[in-house]
Amino acid sequence: MNRQVKLHAFFIILLLALAVGVPRAISQEQASEDQQKSEKEQKQKKKKGGFFSGLKAIRGESSEQQEVTATAGSKTVGEGEQIGDAQPTASDRQAVTTMENYAVPEKDLKKFQDDGKLKAKQ
Amino acid sequence: MKRSRASRTWLWPAGALVTVMLLGPAPAAKAQFRDLLKRGMEKAEKVQKALQPMTVEEEREVGREVSAKLIAFFHLYQDEALTRYVNLVGATVAAPSERQDIQYHFAVLDSDDINAFSAPGGYIFITRGALGLCEDEAELAGVLAHEVGHVAGKHVLKIVERDKALRAGMDETRAHMPGSAYLHKMSRGVLIKLIDQGLAPADEYDADQRGIKYARAAGYPADGLARFLTKLDQATEQGGKSFWTRTHPPVKERNARIAQTITAEQWEDADRPKLADRFAAETQVLKPKPEA
Repeated sequence: MNRQVKLHAFFIILLLALAVGVPRAISQEQASEDQQKSEKEQKQKKKKGGFFSGLKAIRGESSEQQEVTATAGSKTVGEGEQIGDAQPTASDRQAVTTMENYAVPEKDLKKFQDDGKLKAKQ
Repeated sequence: MKRSRASRTWLWPAGALVTVMLLGPAPAAKAQFRDLLKRGMEKAEKVQKALQPMTVEEEREVGREVSAKLIAFFHLYQDEALTRYVNLVGATVAAPSERQDIQYHFAVLDSDDINAFSAPGGYIFITRGALGLCEDEAELAGVLAHEVGHVAGKHVLKIVERDKALRAGMDETRAHMPGSAYLHKMSRGVLIKLIDQGLAPADEYDADQRGIKYARAAGYPADGLARFLTKLDQATEQGGKSFWTRTHPPVKERNARIAQTITAEQWEDADRPKLADRFAAETQVLKPKPEA
């Protein structure tokens, strides 16, 4: 009987330890996972350049070639980058809208093609 | 009998274990599990959205932003008659394109550089310098048809769609407003790709092949683009500025492939109009005026 009481006491202590320990272990594991993930993301950010990362696979360039391009890019800003950084004004945006709204009348297009003896497939 | 009583006494700690597991740590663990599950589902949803093809409206939004930046940098060449002419040639070569779910728009950029650009959504630009290099309408048609080929082949669009980093932020509030951080990042990426890095050689060859087919289906001879490319090569050797020769595959190879298609298709284009006179008359405004 005495032995049974001891066993019971042991299991109750074990259960209490589990009750306290399990959630802590889970949260510690979670924190460690989050930390690992954030470190991994930072490494990836350093390695990859967003838009550029996809291009490597498409063009089949080696990492060396990529590094050369990146180095060259850091020394001289490409024209595409300069244009990409341009800040359009309201008038530039209006010009795009005008471009969108511009449509050659069907009748004029037909006359243009007829005059040029073109046979456009519609 | 004794053994049976002893085994029954084990039921107490086992029952206590189950009770403690259910009532003790369970609510906290359950909440954490729910949180993990929710975050996982949110991430999966974002990834799934980012991998979906862009809608035509989304494509147009990017094209509008790219166009606004091109116009902000180069400025439009403001001549109504010339813009109308370029649109007439452009509409003629765009008509046979496989992609008719979008409208094609054409404009002239005020730049001496010899370039042509196409942005997603059907926005196509040719520079004053490129127009000046063309000798006839068939060459202009070839250049514009090549650009239509890029749009129809969704060459830029496919790159944008594949890039999850670029598409991140597409769900943010005001992401689709002109000038938003998302559209700026997207259009900047497109311009760097187009002008500084160039598309994949396979995409350029594909745009060439599509372009010569559109130009020919429109009634022009198929070799307009090849003739333009030969002159472009010479012009850049003599100091002319063009990103086409810098980022595109070698002209020799492109022209060889064009010639191969013309031969394989048995296209006899000698009687097809090049329209040199009409081109000269319509682009007269670009010719330097003789000094008095």
